[in-house]
Amino acid sequence: MRVVIAEDNALLREGLVLLLTSAGHEVVAVAAAEPEILPALLAHRPDIAVLDVRMPPGFRDEGLRAALAARRQIPGLPVLVLSQYVEEAYAAELLGGGASGIGYLLKDRVGRVEEFLDALDRVAAGGTALDPEVVTELLTRRRGTPLDSLTPREREVLTLMAEGHDNTTIAATLVITERAVSKHIGNVFLKLGLPPTDAGHRRVLAVLAHLNNATDR
Amino acid sequence: MRETVRRAGRATVQLALAVGLTAFSFAFITVLLITAIGTVAAVGIWLLPEAVLLIRRIAGAKRSMVAGWTGQEIPEAYQPITGPLRDRLRIAVRDPGTFVDGRWMLANYAYGCLGLLALPLWLAALPVDGIWCGLARRRQPLVLPLISRLADLDAAWSTALLKPSPKALLAKRVEQLTQTRAGAIAAHSAELRRIERDLHDGAQARLVALSMRIGLAKRAYERDPAAGRRLLDEAQEHAEEALAELRHVVRGIHPPILTDRGLAGAVRALAASSGLDVNVQAGELEDGPRAPVAVESAAYFVVAEALTNAAKHSGSRRAGVQLARTRNGLRVVVRDDGKGGADGRDGETGGTGLPGMRRRVAALDGTFAVTSPAGGPTVIEAELPCAW
Repeated sequence: MRVVIAEDNALLREGLVLLLTSAGHEVVAVAAAEPEILPALLAHRPDIAVLDVRMPPGFRDEGLRAALAARRQIPGLPVLVLSQYVEEAYAAELLGGGASGIGYLLKDRVGRVEEFLDALDRVAAGGTALDPEVVTELLTRRRGTPLDSLTPREREVLTLMAEGHDNTTIAATLVITERAVSKHIGNVFLKLGLPPTDAGHRRVLAVLAHLNNATDR
Repeated sequence: MRETVRRAGRATVQLALAVGLTAFSFAFITVLLITAIGTVAAVGIWLLPEAVLLIRRIAGAKRSMVAGWTGQEIPEAYQPITGPLRDRLRIAVRDPGTFVDGRWMLANYAYGCLGLLALPLWLAALPVDGIWCGLARRRQPLVLPLISRLADLDAAWSTALLKPSPKALLAKRVEQLTQTRAGAIAAHSAELRRIERDLHDGAQARLVALSMRIGLAKRAYERDPAAGRRLLDEAQEHAEEALAELRHVVRGIHPPILTDRGLAGAVRALAASSGLDVNVQAGELEDGPRAPVAVESAAYFVVAEALTNAAKHSGSRRAGVQLARTRNGLRVVVRDDGKGGADGRDGETGGTGLPGMRRRVAALDGTFAVTSPAGGPTVIEAELPCAW
């Protein structure tokens, strides 16, 4: 895959380049500051952009804004946003324009190389990768909702589903059969009152929309 | 007409009180004399500070009486009379407030009986205003308003005489600043100690453990690859935990989202993760100019603590946060409809956060108020002065 990286910290930038090249990807451009991001993306049209949230010159949320701007100019551009810390609010903004080809992960996750590369592939293929910390926060912050009626197993399935995993991965992670996963998912959708949806990002979006509504009410 | 009579009536009560207070302080002359004689005779010297305290109370009564009439508080500036006798004496004599009170008391002996004029004025008002308004059909009575004027005069003189000198106000301000600064420094160093401990017990220890695991893995690299791999797994876990702890410490020092999104955005994020149904009103803070960093940070801290308390102790599911820009600062109000009963006094149990909030707001010269009657609701209000 052709990748554009935006990361201001030289150490992390070099690390990412090393990791991606050793996994067989091609890093076509690196941006070290916010103004370089959009031109690099427009010039190279990569298969995926990996962006840090906090970038010069302001060291605030430039990377996030650049990701949103890039997706407006290049519809469907897969972006994987990395951050030193995760905020639900940012996840909501990123997913606001659709969950297809969106990733939002803690930088820590890069250390789990296999999982990180898997998330990268998923996002590039139009899927979703949400950091477990965001999902946990969404799932635990509120009581007294239909979420309470879920069994522990159903919660596990819901968590993995919200992180963006497909049935095969969920089955492998929980060491159950795919049939069982489908059954659990059916139950979750029933209990949450969601219309049954096919696999993929639309499913993630339905789940996340439900979780967001549950807390905004 | 009726209004004028009512006002004259109120003025009369006011004047009667003034006369009463004057009479009381006349009686007090005796005490003063005894003190003076005692002081000269060096036996009753301990009486002096007590006499000064009594004068303060009389002046205080007058201040609140005048405030009741004019609706404007007269500030008072006294140095607290405490410590051993020598200190108490020194403060009692050298406090500018003592001079102000003494001056007022002497003057009050002269003008304090002004109120007695109200009686003949009432007597005159009955026939004069009776004829003026009753027979001549005039709207405004002539004599009755004079009684109000009399009370106004008493209030104006008292205000002028009881107002502390700029020097005394300055001294009071210095005293207050000294206290809040000491509080701020104490809170700051306590905070630094907490951060140091968090880093020492958390991330630092994890990194040591991580380094050890890598060292062991290097040794096991050739002899026992399986063990080496296990050690590397553990090392990675330690690295991840160290990162998580660092993130936690950073959030405690200065929440990153506050830098990114300003107070309104950060408070919304707090509200969303509080587990409560929180209604946030941020008004023009939404995308207006930003308050200074210290003010934003204190406001964020107050909201965070208040919401945590509400979620933990109030038993309520709903809360409201209001952020508003005021003429000279920032106003933060957090309310919940819980069971109330929060007070800032118990440091250990329910209200650990309240003294901390109070200190943090006081350090920025702000005001902090908690109202939490049993049965609720709890309302926490903080005003933080700043230039925008």
